[in-house]
Parts: sequence; structure tokens; C-alpha cells
Amino acid sequence: MTAEPSAAMSGLVERSAAAYVAAVPDHPRDDGFFGPASVTWRVASDLSAPVAGLRSLLMQALHPLAMAGVDQHSDWRRDPVGRLAATSAYEAIVTFGDRASATAVAERVRAIHTRVQGVDTVTGLPYAAGDPALLLWVHAALVDSGLAAGRLFGTPLTGADADTYVREMTIAAELLGVPHEIIPASVAELDRYFTEVRPELRCTPAAAESMSYLLDPPGLDSDLAELWQDIRDASIATLPEWAVGEYGYQLPAPVTAERRNEIRQALGVLDAVFLGEPGVLEARQRIALRARSAGKA
Amino acid sequence: MAVLGVVSIAGLVETRRRVGRLRVERGMAALRLAARGGARYASNAPKLFATAGEHRQQLRNDLALQTAEDVATTLGTMKGVLMKLGQMASYVDAGLTPAARRTLSRLQDSVPPMSPELAARVVTEELGLPPEQAFATWDPVPIAAASIGQVHRAITLDGRAVAVKVQYPGIAETIEADLSNVGLLRRMLKITAPSQDVDALLAELRERITEELDYRAEARNQQLFARYYEGHPTIHVPGIVEELSTRRLVTSDLADGARFAELAGWSQAERDLAGETIYRFVFRSLYEMHAFNGDPHPGNYLFHGGGRVTFLDFGLVKHFTDDELRPLVEMVKHLCVENDPSAFRAAMVEAGFLMPDTPLPTEEIIEHMALFYDTVRERGPRTMTGEYASAVSRRFFDFRSPLTPYAAIPRSYVILQRINLGLFALLGELSATADWRCIAEEIWPFVRGPACTPIGAAETTWLAGRRGAEHAGQAVR
Repeated sequence: MTAEPSAAMSGLVERSAAAYVAAVPDHPRDDGFFGPASVTWRVASDLSAPVAGLRSLLMQALHPLAMAGVDQHSDWRRDPVGRLAATSAYEAIVTFGDRASATAVAERVRAIHTRVQGVDTVTGLPYAAGDPALLLWVHAALVDSGLAAGRLFGTPLTGADADTYVREMTIAAELLGVPHEIIPASVAELDRYFTEVRPELRCTPAAAESMSYLLDPPGLDSDLAELWQDIRDASIATLPEWAVGEYGYQLPAPVTAERRNEIRQALGVLDAVFLGEPGVLEARQRIALRARSAGKA
Repeated sequence: MAVLGVVSIAGLVETRRRVGRLRVERGMAALRLAARGGARYASNAPKLFATAGEHRQQLRNDLALQTAEDVATTLGTMKGVLMKLGQMASYVDAGLTPAARRTLSRLQDSVPPMSPELAARVVTEELGLPPEQAFATWDPVPIAAASIGQVHRAITLDGRAVAVKVQYPGIAETIEADLSNVGLLRRMLKITAPSQDVDALLAELRERITEELDYRAEARNQQLFARYYEGHPTIHVPGIVEELSTRRLVTSDLADGARFAELAGWSQAERDLAGETIYRFVFRSLYEMHAFNGDPHPGNYLFHGGGRVTFLDFGLVKHFTDDELRPLVEMVKHLCVENDPSAFRAAMVEAGFLMPDTPLPTEEIIEHMALFYDTVRERGPRTMTGEYASAVSRRFFDFRSPLTPYAAIPRSYVILQRINLGLFALLGELSATADWRCIAEEIWPFVRGPACTPIGAAETTWLAGRRGAEHAGQAVR
């Protein structure tokens, strides 16, 4: 397979910020599929969100067929930053956009998925990106990561809120074509799903390669690279033990209170940097104002 | 990139460099000054209360912080620390990349004001009475943002119009918590300031920031300046209302006037006079009070015309001992007045700026240092320019200089660099012209030259009255 990695990661903050700003609407026609009072908005705005994002990718890559689709069809090697920015823009539109925007962007992704199919060279199995089973895996990994990152490094949700979050997020999977009845709608159902799917998961060479790139991306400015180490360590610390084992990473030491603070500080500095990008503050204020007026209503 | 622009603050705070020095000059069309010298700054309280409201800063009240938890969320996880660092660095051109500047100023913008209820709660906790009872009039809507608080206007029970700076609840604890966990800061400082003693730098940053979290120190310092400059013809420092000042409140006389940005529309003659007053303030404070106000941010001045300036915000004041000040005085004396290079070099060594056995010829050292004294080495009018300010800044950060391996900034002088650079930048922005040398001679304790501008003449009269009063006071004691 494949070309060697790969383009440098410069411009990560700038391009992610631009994608985020474009995704948060100025004048939404409605509150979208979640709304300002939702747990989903809280999770998406949590300090731990970058850890959740990186952990999602680490989890998602462990499904050989999902990984094969990315590996054989995505241009991540040529433009890794563009790939990440597009993904976070998608999530932001689905989360904060109005229903029409969220539906439209999901339709576009579904159209792309129809063209993404092939045969995984490791398992020899055919795959199709539109396969609900793969989409469900990607979805479950994302939702689970939001919970796990928040629990360790963000503002942990209560049990009831965690259930609400999992239930709210089912719509995100539906938008991409996963039948409602197979989507976990509570933390317990989510856990059950992970137990069921576990035998299908493994670290393929493609997963190892792309994730080692992501964990130590070339081309970051030195100060950003310093912060990235903390985000990376934090993401690995939130992984289930079996996932760490699949990658062959050293099992991380338990996170001490001091280390947790340091990681939260790194997340705070990263957030400040993000906030410095044009339009980000205004986008945040749009979200905060909507959340506040929902709180009063 | 942006992040650690922040930390080139390191460069700022610590490092090498020189004590800049003076500049100045003479005056302009300023005869009317003498006539105006006695004009009062404050008119009656209700009128001042009203006009201060007209200059209200636009704040995002719709997003107001409502609880101490909101404060912690907004300013915790390093954001408050970064804001303080940014504030310390914000007036030094070369210290920050444009991206870092933008980050820090956006960070400042991102902090909404406290809701009226939250601000009132802080006042109540500090004074034991709600603001409506502690003051005769209290405006619940802030008139300005401060870095870790906000300013309300009020009228005291005995009729003084005052500005009350109210600190965000929990902010001191939040920042202290971040500063007590320095792993991240240490690592990041090592990137931008690899050659520096990072732990000493951290200690300095911590001390400075912690100091600013206790408003009592600020009130004490402001009162010191207010008393010293009482009756001064052009320098005005609002007095402190001590009984209404606490750890999280500073209450001072309300002042109103033109903001720095408005000076752009003033005549050059007025700008020159304003520059002269700021210059006099900085160096008279240093040589006479042995104190330096370390925050020459443009937002901390109000301008009244005729060279009259109100100085606000004494959150960052450094007091020098005689031993600390002496070598600085010696340096300027030997270089600019006695023209004795080897004595200058010896004074640099005494101050700790230069290693004793530095293997460089004195001429080379002088050549490197002269830029910092450029405006006071010779008599005659000189115009401060942004280019000069940048040149000084660049030299400040010139790590390629042959002097670098042998130069240092002893900790007690660190703050001087910020002020010098801040002052130069400010005067450069005003394009202020004066015979800075001549003004400096008025102030230099080893010269005490005659007045060379109308402001100088008015100041001489003020000084005479001041000294007379001191003597009278001593006689009584």
C-alpha cells in the first residue's frame, strides 16, 4: 500500500478555527437537532473537546474496514490538516447548525460515502463506507470519546446527563443513514455495543501508521508541539486498556491530580490560541448567547 | 506561533538588557500652561460622575459573568495567567509576535463583565454593606473593564465622586492555583527562552502577578504617588479612599479626560506637552520617589490639555532601594555628563548588568549601550519616533550582540526594561518633541538644572512649595 506520510501539520489551528467559524451560524433558522439547552452543546464546548477528538480518531481507526476506507480513499497524507479541519467543521455544523444545514452537510457526506468502497487488504473483506455497521462504529467511538475525555479532563457529566448525551447523539448517526433501532441510546447500551463489536477490532498497519503520524505530527510549531504532547498523552490515558494494547503503546500511568491540572492548563492555552483566530470569539459568543437565552426560557 | 509568543514575554521579563534612559526636551507653545497650571482637575462630584459615564467602555453585558464558577470557567486553566502575562508584555513591540498580541488582546476581549449582582456581592463581602448602602450613589453598570476586574462609578457618603475597581470573585485563587502548578509554563518557557534561568523567571513572574492580585498593595502605591504629586502643575494622581479600599476593591477619586487614542486629533503642541509630562512623571518618580510605575499602558492615562495628565493604575509599582538605584544614577552620570567610559563600565558591573571580567573593549560596550541613552546625550530638541522605540526594542532583544554572553538583567531591574520600552513606544506614538536632555538635567539628582520649559518652571514652583511644606512638617515634629 501506501505512500509515505506525509504533509506537515502546519496551519492546524488556523484552518480548524476557520472551519469552526464558518460552521457556527450567524442567523440559524432553528435550533438544529440539539439546541442550546442540550447536553451535546455542553460536551462540544467542553475544555476537553480536543482530547475527545483525538481519542475518537484513535478509536475509530481500530476497525479494520473503517480504517481501510480512510486509508484507500482519503487524501489525508497529502493534506492532513485539511482532513481534520473538514471533520471538525462537519461536527460543528451538525451540532450548532440549523436543521437544514445539518441535513445538507450530512447528505453531502452520504453522497461521498457511496463512492468509498473496496477490499481491505488485511482482512480480505469487502467494505463500503455507507455500511451502517461501519457508520455505527464511527459514531459510537465519537460518543464514547466525548464521555471519556470529559470524565478525565473536562467537566464530567452526571449519569443522567451522560445517558441524555448518548440519546441526543443518536440523531447524528441517523443523519448518516444508520437505522434508529440499532443505535445505542443510553450509556448501558453503548457499553453493550462495545462488548459486541470488540472481536472485530484490531490495529492494522494502516491504523498504526496514521495514528503514529497523528500522535507526533511533523511541522507543528515548537510551542504547539509542546501542547500537542499533553493532548496526546491525555487521549491515550482516556483509551480503554484493550485499545492501548492493540496499538502496543505503553500503558499510561494513572493520571495524578497534578498531571491532570497540567493537561487542563495545556488545553486552556490551546483554547486561548484558538480564541485568537479571527472570528472564533464571535462564534463562541453566538453560541453562549443562544445557550443563555435558552437557559432563561 | 501564537502560543508562545506569550512566552517571549520571557524575553521581556527576564533577560538582558539595559536600562534605557532619558530623553526629553523643550517646549513649545506653552506659555498658557503657567496660567492653566492651577486649574482643578476635578469639578463637582455629580458632574464628574455624569461625564465619566459618557466615556463608558462598550462591554458585553449580555454575556455577564453571574457566579464565581463562571469566573473560574472563563479565567481558569491558564487564561487568567496568560492575560496577566499579556498585560505585562502588551506595550513592548518587539516582545510579541503579531499573532501573540492578537491572541492576548482577544483573550482580554473574551472576558465579559460581572453581572451587577455579582459585582454587588463582591462589594458586600468586602465592605460588609451592599453598594447602595456603602455609597450614596452606585452605578451598577461598570464604566470600564480592568484586567481582572471592572470599574464602577459611585459617589461616597461624604460626596466624593469615585471610581471603584472591583475584582472578579475567585480570580486570585484561580490564578494562584495555575501559578502553583508550573510544569507547563516551565516547559513552554524553555522553548522561547532556552538560555534563560527558567526557574528564576518563573519566580519573578509569579511574584509580580501575585502582587497584582492584592489590590491593597495597589492602593498603597497609588496613595504614595498621589501624595507625592499633590499640587503638581501637570501631573495628577487620583487619591485613594482608604476606608473603601480592600483586597478586592480599590476606591479612588474619579477622573475623566481624553483617552490616548483621542490625542491623535490634538495639535502636535499639545501632544508634545503631554509627552513631556509623562516623561517627567517617569523620571521624577524614579529619582525622587525611587519608584517606578510598571504599567505604562496607554489606557492608564487621561489627558486634559496644556500638558496635564492623570495617571491611573498603580498595580505594578517597583520600589528601589538606594543601593539598587545608585548604579543606575552612576551610569547615566558617567556616560552622559562626565563622559567617563570606564566609570560607566564599572557602574554597569556594580549594577550586575555586566560580568566583571568581560573580555570586550569598553568602546564596544559603550557602542552597544549608547542607543539606550541616545536622547539624553546631547542638548537640543529631539522628536521621539516609533523607529527609535523599535530600535531600542530590537536591541533589547538582540541575542546576537557580542555583549550577550556577558550581560544580564539583575532581578530587581527587570521591571525597568518594561517601563523604558513602554515609555519610548508611547512617546514615539505621540511623535513628542522636546529637549529631553535639558529636562533630564532638571531631574537628575547630580545636576538639578534650572527649568527649561514652562512645565519645568511651574514644577520648580511646586517643588519649592513642597520642600517648604516638608521642612515645616519636620520642624513641627
